[in-house]
Amino acid sequence: MGVNLGDLVPKTKVDLKSLSGKSIAIDAYNALYQFLAIIRQPDGTPLKDSTGKITSHLSGLLYRTANLVEIGIKVVYVFDGVPPALKEAEIKRRAKVKEEALVKYERALQEGKIEEARTYAQMTSRLKDYMAEDSKRLLTQMGVPWVQAPSEGEAQAAHMTGKGDTNYCASQDYDSLLFGAPTLVRNVTISGRRKLPRKPVYVEVIPETVELDHVLKELEITREQLVDIGILVGTDFNPEGVKGIGPKTALKLVKKYGSLEELLPTLKEVEFPVETKRIREIFLNPKVTDNYKLTWKDPDIDGVVDFLCRERDFSEERVRKALNKMAEGLRKAKGKVTLETFFH
Amino acid sequence: MFKVRMADAKFLKDMISAISILIDEATFDLTSDGIKLRAMDPSRVAMVDFEWQKTVFDEYVCGEAMKMCVNISEMMKLLRRTGKDESVELSLDEKTGRLKIAIKGKYTRTFNMPTLEAIEEEVPTPKVTFNVRAKTTTEGLREAIEDASLVSDHVRIEADNEKMVMQATGDIMGATIELKKGSDALLDIEAKEASKATFSLSYLSEIVKAAVATSDIATLEFSTDMPIKLDFKQPKEGKLTFYLAPRIEVE
Repeated sequence: MGVNLGDLVPKTKVDLKSLSGKSIAIDAYNALYQFLAIIRQPDGTPLKDSTGKITSHLSGLLYRTANLVEIGIKVVYVFDGVPPALKEAEIKRRAKVKEEALVKYERALQEGKIEEARTYAQMTSRLKDYMAEDSKRLLTQMGVPWVQAPSEGEAQAAHMTGKGDTNYCASQDYDSLLFGAPTLVRNVTISGRRKLPRKPVYVEVIPETVELDHVLKELEITREQLVDIGILVGTDFNPEGVKGIGPKTALKLVKKYGSLEELLPTLKEVEFPVETKRIREIFLNPKVTDNYKLTWKDPDIDGVVDFLCRERDFSEERVRKALNKMAEGLRKAKGKVTLETFFH
Repeated sequence: MFKVRMADAKFLKDMISAISILIDEATFDLTSDGIKLRAMDPSRVAMVDFEWQKTVFDEYVCGEAMKMCVNISEMMKLLRRTGKDESVELSLDEKTGRLKIAIKGKYTRTFNMPTLEAIEEEVPTPKVTFNVRAKTTTEGLREAIEDASLVSDHVRIEADNEKMVMQATGDIMGATIELKKGSDALLDIEAKEASKATFSLSYLSEIVKAAVATSDIATLEFSTDMPIKLDFKQPKEGKLTFYLAPRIEVE
């Protein structure tokens, strides 16, 4: 879900190749959910192995990661830990959406409405524990580092980018900015073409970068005020936000009154599931760890083939091809220097 | 207001073609003195530094200094339509933001294309002390690079006061290309100290292949494990220079 600041935030479209040589901390759950939602058969059935285990997430992880590494991008996946207690409302809301979607999916299937079934199927995507475990195992075999966040993955990724250990956070959500990520890149874990929800229309998806400093300067606000805008619009900790307040109104109000404390008394009948101070605290002082090490290794090609092809019924030819391309990219990246190195 | 004319359209076509090998969107600086462009390719390995004084054009009018950004492959599509003995006229309609390209010869056709939001990023010059300076014929350099490209995707260039040697090692084959001082290919060479550096052949060959149409003489400057500067001497008042980052070999 995440906070919806799309319209407010100035973005710069970039060529994926321009991120070559850069390291990016990818919000792993955000990417895995995308893979689970998108990588499906036409009627919405996810990819499965012969025992019925879902493999859509592994397929996405393998091919997309191999693709990024081939370009010379150093990727790190950051996995969510224990969600903050405040997230309960959002977690319940998501579960409800999924239950409803499941009913609609089955009905659409029975009625033979394939397009519709696929749409509802995408909304039922659930990330089970075994999927995260599978993903970590695959990444280790691929030589790609992953980090276990103590709590929110985006907060951890923002922390790592803030420290300069990675150059960018990658997520589709803007929450990273609220967590203080200095730089965010969107649209890196999805391919160049993406179907619009509930429409048979495809759009070109181009990666875009967002800089926190630039956002704050452009909007003439502080990071605290950006968090306040998020809370008004709705975050994972108060998904409803304040009724009738979208990003633009939120910005206007926050700038007029300075902070939520000054602003809330002026609104009528505003309710929050939890104290706004506690939500703000999660964004400004999230639980993160310095206990991680980022090292990139060559992929263990035979190991990946054993796992994906022997255990999960992937095509060996395709898996080897992707891994070879990835290894080739790594080899080239090792010798690659950009001109920027010589500017200073 | 920006309006220029060039009696020989090929001249413009070749230059735009040379620039287009590195970048998709080109932001030109237009001033009353002439036009300039400096940009890096998306993966930031190579850079082009281009300049034409107004005297290069047969007619040159530029009122206020401004930036003009165009999709260069689209522009190239149109310029490819120019034939022998044809002239070309560029004019920018500031109201609509469209660039008009009029090609005149056997008949007249006027294309128009959109300009894009200009990129404000200023690209600095790499700070490098060059120890080697080699003057080659552009054609000789192109041949040597083509030889190396047959066997590998990268080449090591070594030089001292007598010669320049290109060493390419591929998975299966290898090549050594020696250019001696005073030969038809290597007109002159000076080396403060013997130097060697490795470069991507795909970049080098694209650059040299494109530049050969605009220039007869190339000056290469480099140092051990530093970027190489390739300057292609222009027949009129202008410059076309490329910088290419080295590849650092790691075991």
